[in-house]
Amino acid sequence: MKDKAMLKSIVLVVVMLVTVLALIPSCAAPPPLGRPIKVGIVDTYSGGPTSYTNDVRDAFKLAIDEANKKGILGTTIEFTTRDDKFKPDLALSGAKELVMSEKVDILMGTINSASALAVSDYAKTEKIPFIDTFAKDETITGKLGHRYVFSVTENTAMAGKAIGAYLAKQPYVKYWIAGDDYAYGHAIADASWRNLTSLKPAVQLLGQSWWKVGEPDLTPYITAMLAAKPDAAIIATGAADCVPFLKAAKATGFNEKVPFFMHTATEQGTIAPLGLDAPEGVWGTSNYHFYYPDTAENKAFVKAFQDAYNRFPGAGALYGYIAANFIAKAVEKAGTMDTEKFIDALEGLKVDSPVGEVEMRAYDHQAILPIFMGVTKKVPEYNFLIATNIVTIPGKDLMPTIDEIKAARGVK
Amino acid sequence: MHFLPDIGLATLGIQLLVGLSRAMILFIVSAGMSLILGVLRIPNVAHGSLYMIGAFLAFSVASFFGGSTGFWLALILAPLAVALISLIAERGIFCHLYEREHLMLLLFTFSLMLVFGDLVKLTWGGAFRSVTVPSIFSGSLPVFGLPVPRYNLFLLVIGPIIAIGLWLLMSKTRIGKISRAAAVDREMVGAVGINVSWVFAIAFVIGCYLAGLGGALVAPTVNIALGMDHTIIIEAFLIVIIGGLGNMWGALCGALIFGVTQSFGVLLWPQFAIVFPYAAVIIVLLLRPSGLLKSVW
Repeated sequence: MKDKAMLKSIVLVVVMLVTVLALIPSCAAPPPLGRPIKVGIVDTYSGGPTSYTNDVRDAFKLAIDEANKKGILGTTIEFTTRDDKFKPDLALSGAKELVMSEKVDILMGTINSASALAVSDYAKTEKIPFIDTFAKDETITGKLGHRYVFSVTENTAMAGKAIGAYLAKQPYVKYWIAGDDYAYGHAIADASWRNLTSLKPAVQLLGQSWWKVGEPDLTPYITAMLAAKPDAAIIATGAADCVPFLKAAKATGFNEKVPFFMHTATEQGTIAPLGLDAPEGVWGTSNYHFYYPDTAENKAFVKAFQDAYNRFPGAGALYGYIAANFIAKAVEKAGTMDTEKFIDALEGLKVDSPVGEVEMRAYDHQAILPIFMGVTKKVPEYNFLIATNIVTIPGKDLMPTIDEIKAARGVK
Repeated sequence: MHFLPDIGLATLGIQLLVGLSRAMILFIVSAGMSLILGVLRIPNVAHGSLYMIGAFLAFSVASFFGGSTGFWLALILAPLAVALISLIAERGIFCHLYEREHLMLLLFTFSLMLVFGDLVKLTWGGAFRSVTVPSIFSGSLPVFGLPVPRYNLFLLVIGPIIAIGLWLLMSKTRIGKISRAAAVDREMVGAVGINVSWVFAIAFVIGCYLAGLGGALVAPTVNIALGMDHTIIIEAFLIVIIGGLGNMWGALCGALIFGVTQSFGVLLWPQFAIVFPYAAVIIVLLLRPSGLLKSVW
């Protein structure tokens, strides 16, 4: 009897040991994910903003097709899109649908800053990472930033620093500010004016005009501005009205009478739709021009984009491309699609891009991107205007300091 | 609040001119709507969509032919195309609904608006379209020392021409007189032996032609984008109501009020410029609830 009992326990121990030994090998390498990584993009695919947002989506697709060839943890990245028609309420319902029915792992989007803030807030509650691909309001990663939101586009704080520094060197004193009456418009105007007055206190603000987003006829606003006779103007238009303003400026001859600065004026999505009708002599800033810098990486990126989509990439393409690379690299580094580990891996991550290496700053989840400033001019090579006299300002010179972010968020 | 420090007479003058030129477009579109409202007794909710189609068609024609000739051809062809579309809609489905409930026609025009909106999106896509001002009209002319875009001055000339043309059509031609009679008393017109259905068709087509013409004329000055239909339909409705239902001169008055208050609003209080025309509408309705001029109904 005692022998049989002992035999039983020995067999039991041996079986347990063998089972444990059999399991060990599969713990050595990260298990393949087993299911595709799903990304949901909420963005504006109707109306004016499409000249920017199509670039984001198309470059994203190009980059993930590349990454999928090698595979990420043995699986692929898939994405689906929702059109928010530039309305925050539709953006929010689109995001909810993507999370609840499509069960996406990561949210991306949107060009409207108000929509981005709404989706960011939702992402915080649902604990889903949200990557802002175009909305430039600085509060997205600043005052209202949190663990689950990331930005791969520059923001108004950075642009404002660049614009303020540039305008402070100009001889103009009397300014007029005009733009779209929503979060982004006011943010870029405030940031530019704040930086300009701190560097050159002598400037005067003659007045401001704000029109509703998507205002079709800007002629009366322009004639009113011309009547006020400012030395220069800061135009704070967003995705919906950049192109219409440039068109109206050319039609009324505004660009010849009043020099003006418009953030994103030199971006492909803004300047190309107008072709040779675009106004010359407009100062603009952008994160990316396909013809600059003249590096091998940039050229290769432009060629790949052109071959796939038969058009030149705008700044949106840069954002879509680095978003894809950040996602792929972070998932591989984390070894899993677990949200918290993904976020930890993404913080401080560096990826290659057509404008050089880009780092995702760990504290506020803001990508450190350079800004390029230039003046629009007609050139014989292209049937659209390009930026000339381009000045590069490295991202780290423009980022708000971590102390400034802390102060904005009210944390110590 | 940011008032301009010194609003000179010159500034007021050019804002007035710009406002008047915009009023001309509003008048053309509202006159069409007023005509349809007067004769057929239905508010054509699809009017804005036809205006938008007119603008998009003008873009297509202008870019196909290119240059200044493209623009003039667009001005001729786009409204005709819109008139044709409206004729097909009218003869195809509309006319069968005349005996039905009044509400049916209204709902039908509403559904047309939705259908047209999506058709435009399918045909032309979501991106911006731009029509170039023909070269004779580009740039601005100094008026009172300040620049006014030449194209707006062109609109100031063409608006009254169209107004006079419409007036001649309505009062001097046979069809115009019959339409006005049908607006007042359709049964008598039928009793006299005239085919009322065709009268309706003609009035509808002329009204929609005007919507298309408004769209083609406005194309070089605004961004041609989806959503144009929603903005203009509200403005046209309000103008028709404050002007007097079915009254063409009322539409002119309403359009002038709307366009000029909008322009002055931009000058006086730029952040709230949008409020001025609607405030004017409220004031007019408080003082004269049935509209400024006599309504046909």
